[in-house]
Formats: sequence, structure tokens, C-alpha cells
Amino acid sequence: MVFSFIVIPLLVAAIMPLLGKISKKLIPDVLTNAALAFLLLNSILLIKPIFNQGSIIQNISWMGEKVNLQIALDSFNLFMLFTISLVSLAISLFSIDYLEHYGHKANFYALLLVMIAGMNGLVLVPDLFSIYLFLEVAAVASYALVAFGLGYDELEASFKYLMLSAVASAFALLSITIIFGMTSSLNFQDVARGLQDLSARYVIGVCLAFFIMGFGLKAALVPFHAWLPDAHPSAPAPISAMLSGLLIKVSGVYALFRIIYSVIGMTPVMSQVLMALGTISMVVAAFLALGQKDIKRMLAYSSISQVGYIVLGLAIGTPLGIAGGLFHLFNHAVAKGLLFLNSGSIQHITGTRNLEELGGLGKRVPLTAGTNLVGSLSIAGVPPLAGFWSKLVIIMALIQAKQMGYALIAILASILTLWYYLLIQRRAFFGQMNEKWSHIKEAPFWMSAANVILALICILVGIFFTPVFKTWISPAAEALARGVQQVMMWGI
Amino acid sequence: MIIQIILLVGLVIFAGLAILAKDLLKAALSLAVASLFLGIIFFRLSAPYAGVFEISVVAGLITVLFALTISLTRKNDQVQEARLVKIAFPLFFILFLIIDGLVMKSLLLKVPALPAGPEAGTFGQVLWKQRTFDLIAQIGVILAGVLAVLALFRKKEEDKDE
Amino acid sequence: MSNLWFLYLFFSALLIFIGIYCLLTMRNLIKLFIAIEIISKGVSLALVATGAVQHTILLAQSLVITYIVVEVSLVATALALIINIYKKNKSLDVRLLSKLKG
Repeated sequence: MVFSFIVIPLLVAAIMPLLGKISKKLIPDVLTNAALAFLLLNSILLIKPIFNQGSIIQNISWMGEKVNLQIALDSFNLFMLFTISLVSLAISLFSIDYLEHYGHKANFYALLLVMIAGMNGLVLVPDLFSIYLFLEVAAVASYALVAFGLGYDELEASFKYLMLSAVASAFALLSITIIFGMTSSLNFQDVARGLQDLSARYVIGVCLAFFIMGFGLKAALVPFHAWLPDAHPSAPAPISAMLSGLLIKVSGVYALFRIIYSVIGMTPVMSQVLMALGTISMVVAAFLALGQKDIKRMLAYSSISQVGYIVLGLAIGTPLGIAGGLFHLFNHAVAKGLLFLNSGSIQHITGTRNLEELGGLGKRVPLTAGTNLVGSLSIAGVPPLAGFWSKLVIIMALIQAKQMGYALIAILASILTLWYYLLIQRRAFFGQMNEKWSHIKEAPFWMSAANVILALICILVGIFFTPVFKTWISPAAEALARGVQQVMMWGI
Repeated sequence: MIIQIILLVGLVIFAGLAILAKDLLKAALSLAVASLFLGIIFFRLSAPYAGVFEISVVAGLITVLFALTISLTRKNDQVQEARLVKIAFPLFFILFLIIDGLVMKSLLLKVPALPAGPEAGTFGQVLWKQRTFDLIAQIGVILAGVLAVLALFRKKEEDKDE
Repeated sequence: MSNLWFLYLFFSALLIFIGIYCLLTMRNLIKLFIAIEIISKGVSLALVATGAVQHTILLAQSLVITYIVVEVSLVATALALIINIYKKNKSLDVRLLSKLKG
């Protein structure tokens, strides 16, 4: 049942603080992972019906009253739901061991689940105002999670994030208000139909500018990226993985492109503006990443750069470009999740994230070094791994759309990406071993397990690229390109 | 109409006072008065429930929260604002006022809109039946807020004894 | 669209301007958050005015009430953060927050 994607995390989150009083570690661990595993299973079970029928319609009447619970599910949403469930399950497995030294697991898991519920809701609703609302649900939970360590840096980063994010969602809501004023409705389909009848190009241009400002700030595109390099490294490692891997994509990229494709409709001018924005973030953030000494800060800049790739792919507007963008979204979610979790492992093992202090860890912790290498190479786009294929598809789509300049920049930026990832790899794991690290041990079981799972996904998706792309990514891209969503009515 | 404009001007003036006031408590109170004006405006726009919410929750509850925070952080909060900021504010404000007026004037009659049919039902029906999903999201937001406050005010290393 | 709408939008834009000006120039953390509050007042004014002008006031009203609930939750989180920062810093000055410089 589709509705469980929102209700189950919320319910588990609501009872979590009470259960935390009974058992401080075991029950929260088991319950959270069970709930997330259930969601993953649920999203896999939904694949077949959605691909066969396009949509499922169920009507459940509740006490004879008709209420409006509308959920839209097409292959694009399902693709996002699957990505969210997969990465968040790996993250919560990692948290079992990692959260030992933070304490207060019940509270942590409850916030994590609320954030996941917010993201799932954001993906499922076909309604402009509800998009804003679920955006806020995920955002409020994420402010607290960034500050979860209660240290000096965490609090500062969280406050800055909160300020910018609140302004961003105010602008998004303002734009929604203007559209609401013009069409008197909020549902995607009605609004899309209304806007087609109206032909108000300039007003829509203003709305789009507000949307780009609002959601671009959430997605950390370059002129609006100032909060991310502080907020993502300060958070505990699982939360960095969550924010970089999922939240910026769901609340920024997904919301922006869902509204553009399903409501406003893509035009060549919009496409040019977004492609330029994507390219700028891609290049500028790659250069900024080069100079960083903190692993997590470097990864955070890399996230901005990779989101630039995703936006570039999605903004081309051709089915191949959209498919490449979505594929890169998935690959980046998995690989960046893996890398942030790995940085958590490194911090857990050595107690530092400074690249200059590390060195030669590879011999002592082969598992962490190996998974880190897989994640780095996947994001940098080295052939057999998943990231290579998605970048290739984006570049092919650019060439197909006769955008040679952008294609060239994308290739150069990917070389730059490879450079700074090899820098991490060489400084942290290879080379001279620092005397300090001669007694370190491999990370605990669940941390390594989560890393290995994500690394395996990177490798497997890379090897089985053709079937994955055909059966999984292309339908999602087509659903997005088709524009109008199939809407399911839920009359509970 | 004139009363409405007076209320709107009052709203803007108190919002301006809220950021110009040197004393934080006075700023928070100006914000509360601005909310009060906004609530009355809502009421006159035939949105009585929104007005009540604005007055009771925003002017009441949020002001209490602000006052609480201010009193907790009062001890040595001599934050010097740059003097230029307050001098420059009227200048920028008037500049923006003119730009804003010109933009809105040029937009008059330019923004097309679909005519909406008359709304059926009562406010309660619209809230509960048409926007049911929002209520679920509200539960989520409240839960997030409560958990955030719990997380931020927890005692450190409380469960080391396990 | 009725002309009355633009009158309300004019005032709502003024409120948003006041908020953003304060956000860009002020140094006190609580002042910064008051600025966020003023911006959100501007947005809710625009929302209700839109509903009133377009005769969809019942819908707009329920949206605003939801918006106010979101605002309360945001305020609680932000003020908890501010109190925590004050405990660590013993000051509310933004300039002492090294990270906020950029």
C-alpha cells in the first residue's frame, strides 16, 4: 500500500521516544531498521503493478466519509521512493554502531524517520501546497539532526542552514501563492490545465525565478550553495550521507523538476537557464573541492558539483538527458551515501577527518579503503562502475542535443572530479603510514556491512548497466517527460 | 477600504519597528502588535479562523517563546548593531517602496486569472475533506518540532549508565 | 485579476523587503529570526489576500492555518538552537560565529 510510505515512518517516529525509555538501544535499532526494510520491500513490490498498469487505483471508504487523500504514483515517483528507501536503510544500518558514542538513539532515529516520512510525502503528493508542507517536515527534522552533536560547529552550521532554508521555502511558497491566485487550484493537473489556458508567460517567468531561488537553495546550486559546505560536514556521518545523498535531491532537484515538467512545462529558455546554472555549480564546486583538507568538506563540495551534473542532465529536456540525470541521481545517492558513511568510519577509526594527518590506512583497514575506492571511482566516472555510465549518458545526451560546449565542460569537470577523489584516496589510504595509526582496527560490523552493501550496488549497477537502464531508468524518465501524472484517488 | 489600508500601514510600521528597536523585548512586542494587525486584516478579509489563529498562536504563543528566549539569553547580550544599518534603512525602504509601487502599478490588469466557481461547503468541510493530506503533514511538522526540541535540550551522556 | 490583489501584494512585498534587509544587515541572532518571522507574515498576507480576491477564501484560510502551525514548529526549533548557541558562546553576536562569514 502506497500510503504506508508516509504513515509507517511517522507512526514509528511517534512511538520511538516512549520505547526509548524502555530500551535505550536494542528496540530503536531493530524497529527502525525493520520499518525501513519494510518500506524497501514495499517499493520493490510496487514495481510490477506500476510497470504493467501505469497506476493503481484503490478506493477505501472510511466510516462512510469521503476525504481527499490524493497520492500520485508513476514510475518516476517509484524510482525516487526506491532510491530513498534503499539509501536510508543502509544509513540506518550504519547508525547502529556509529551512534554508540552520541547516545540518545531513540531520539535520533525518530528524527531520521520523520525526515524520511517528509521526503516520501514530498515525492508522493500531486499538490503544490503539500509539496511545500512536506518540504518543511523534512527540513525541520534536518535542522535538528545537523545540530545533533550539540557541538559548537554543529549549532552554527545548523543555524545558518535554518535561516537560508526558511527564506528559500518562503520564496517557494510565494511562487505557489501566485500560481494559486491565477488558477484557483493547487492540484498539479488542474494547475497545468489552467496555466495552459491562461498563457501568462511573464508571470510564469517570475514564478519560475522564485522556484529556482527556493528549490535551488535547497539543492545548493552554486549561487545559493553557501550553507551546504558547513551544514553537511558538521552533522553526524549518517546524517551527512542522508542530507547529501537524498535530501538535497528530493527537496531541491525532485521538487523543482517535478513542478517544471508536470506543472509549468519546459521551454527552451528555461532549459538554457537551468543548464547554465547546473554547469556553473559543476565547475565552481569542483575547483572549490580541490583546496579542502577536511574529507567531509571536500565531499560536500563534491555534492554541489554532482548536483550540477544532475541538473544539467534533467534540464536538457530530451528523454535521454532526463534518463541520464535520473540515473546519475541514483548513482550519486548511493555513492555519496557510501563516501560519507566511509568518512564516518574513518573518523570512528582514527578520530580525525583531516587529510594531512591521515595516511597509509589502507594496510590496516582494507575493507574501508576498498569501499572508499569503489565509491570514489564511481562518482569520478571510471569505466566499469555505475557513475561512468550515467555521466556517459548525460554527455551523449548533450552531444545529441548539439550542446558541444556543455559536453566538453562536463568531460573536463569529470576529470577534475577524478583528480580530487584520487587525492583523498592517496592521502588517506595509500602512501607512508603515520606511526599514530599502527594500532587501529577495522570499523565495527554494521558500519562495514552498510559500506559493503552500497559498494556492491555501485559495482553491480555498473556491470548490469544495460538491463538496469532499460527496465528501471528509462520508464521513470519517460514518465517525467510525459509531463502529466497519473493520479490515484485515495478515498479512505 | 480606508480602514484596511490603515491596518496594512500599521502592520508595516510595526514590522519596521520590530527590526529597528534596540531592546529585543520591545522588538518582540512590536512583532506581536504587527501580528495583531495582521489578524484583524485576516478577519476583515472574511478569514475569521485564520485571524484567530494569527492572534492567538502567532501574537500569543510565539511572542511568549520569544520573551522566554530573550530572558534566558539576557545576561550580557550587548550586541552592537552597525549604526549605518539604521540610518540607511529609511533610504532603502523608500527606494524599495517606489520600485514596488511602480512594479505593482505596471502589473495592474496584466495578470490573467481563471475565474473560480463559488466555494461549496463550510470551512470545516474544506479543511477536513479537501485538505486532509495537509493535516497528516501537520502532524509530521509538529512531531518534527517536538523531537527537535527534545534533541536540542537533551542532557548529554545521559545513557552512559546502560 | 482584481486590482485589489496588487494592493495586498504591494504590502506583502514591503514586509518581505523589511525582513530580507534585516537578515542581510543585522548581527543579533534573535533579530535575524524576527526577520524570518516578518517574511513569513508577508507570505501569509499574500496567501489570504489571494484567497479573498479570488473567492477561494475557505481554501486559502485552511492553507494559512497549516502555515501557522509550520511556523510555530520552526520557531520552536530555531529558538532552541539560539539558546544552545548562547550557552556555548555567551553571546548572541553573529560576528562571533566564525562559520557564518561565508
